[in-house]
Amino acid sequence: MDMFLYLDKNTYMHRLDPRTKMFVMLATFTAALIVNTIPQLIMVALLVIAYGLSGKVLSNLKRIKIILIMIGLFSVFIWSFIGQGTTKLIGPLTQEGLLRGVVTGIKLDVMIIAGMIFLSSTKIEEISLGLQKLKIPYRVAFAFSTAIRLVPMIIGTTYIISQAQQSRGLDLDSGNLVTRLKKYLPLLIPVFISIIRGTNVFAMALESKGFGYSSQRSNYLEITFKPIDFIIVIVIILLILSTLYLRIVVT
Amino acid sequence: MKEVFGMWKYTKMVVLVALSAAIFAALLIPFKALVLIPGFTEVRPANALPIVLGLLFGPAGAWGAAIGNLIGDFFGTLGIGSIFGFIGNFFSAYIPYKLWNKLALVNESDEDPLLLDNTKKVVNFVIVALLSSMACALIIAWGLEMLQLVPFAALATIISLNNSVPSIVLGIPLMLILYPRIKKWDLLWTDIVEEEYLEKKSSAARVGALLMVVGIVGGITTGLIAALGLSGQAAFAGGFTQGQMGSVGVTLMAGSGVVLTVIGSLIEQ
Repeated sequence: MDMFLYLDKNTYMHRLDPRTKMFVMLATFTAALIVNTIPQLIMVALLVIAYGLSGKVLSNLKRIKIILIMIGLFSVFIWSFIGQGTTKLIGPLTQEGLLRGVVTGIKLDVMIIAGMIFLSSTKIEEISLGLQKLKIPYRVAFAFSTAIRLVPMIIGTTYIISQAQQSRGLDLDSGNLVTRLKKYLPLLIPVFISIIRGTNVFAMALESKGFGYSSQRSNYLEITFKPIDFIIVIVIILLILSTLYLRIVVT
Repeated sequence: MKEVFGMWKYTKMVVLVALSAAIFAALLIPFKALVLIPGFTEVRPANALPIVLGLLFGPAGAWGAAIGNLIGDFFGTLGIGSIFGFIGNFFSAYIPYKLWNKLALVNESDEDPLLLDNTKKVVNFVIVALLSSMACALIIAWGLEMLQLVPFAALATIISLNNSVPSIVLGIPLMLILYPRIKKWDLLWTDIVEEEYLEKKSSAARVGALLMVVGIVGGITTGLIAALGLSGQAAFAGGFTQGQMGSVGVTLMAGSGVVLTVIGSLIEQ
């Protein structure tokens, strides 16, 4: 099973500079936080979905649909009670609180969909290179991309160790919270030791290949801003200014 | 704070960041299904790791916890909360190694200060675990209260508990077993970095540590007082059914705690 959200497709979105896609994601977060009415939020949501459709990455929605539904329902639930409205519905539930819950739920879901679209259309190598182009030091980007690459391997190792320990009588399902937490020790320790043990060798391997020898690096992958990146950035800036206008002047 | 940025010139520390982040993320992801607050937190036995990573690997553990939490969010919950999660988890590993020798419970002449071989050190570990959990809770809950997304009282209490219980229950045996091995492999951060990045015994260091403790405890306490008293919120799950969010009082009180904690960490060397 592929754990990562990245979908290997050949669309304009996949060819965008990763910095542009990061900017679009952060701009979506900003827009979702700025607007506060349901019609405006639905507009933002539709724009995000249209963006995702244009990049053919919305198929990943089914992987996160449970999270999106839970977040939406949870927001409606909590805000219905704490929304401090005047139009009572049933008990402490108010109409204003219910509407506020819908607004918050849409905000959170829009932000998560924007994050999903970014990860579905951007390879880890591109994220790493994009961070470097944004003046994040190479070593930080290297640590980030190495960590992501190791995650599936460590999960696999954890699963094997878990199976081995359970075959030796480890029961992870019974007991109270503290007892069940303690039972994770026979998993955590072997995983931790098996990974950390390789640090010295890993560091030597990196240095033997010239890691950190020079501050100037060349890359196999090259990213540059193309005209479409500039167009998208300008469009997004105009959209953010529109949401600010809507919030300040109209609402 | 100097060591937080200076550590990147050491290849071993870079590797420790990557490995710490990968282990933390790998242990977070399988538990993403055990949701406590959809989109924000879940049951996390992996919360035992930040304190251990911080004590053993210092700033590499702090960066590893932050990056690992962000990677965990890549599997379905990447959103605005991820920014505060990054900073909060950074501090959850930063606070332990900064405050370990500042609580007057560890003997200055002890050659193995991290070996939990007496009651005082175990008590020290518990206090540091509580402070690091509260620091993480304060930063995340303050951020999301300010954005009017999740009530402070509910989130701060849930994260404090969700972080501190695994840290204490799992963290103590983890340290007992891992510390001798990590030391033997010369992977303690104090053995890797140069003297200039190590802890200094100065009045600035003590003042910084005091500010961090006051910031964390004060921020959580005053934030909760403002949330439970002024805004009518409730703690834990009850916080989702009463009170109001985004109040200026809660944002200011908790925010002051965050600011004090950050200032303390900048002063503390």
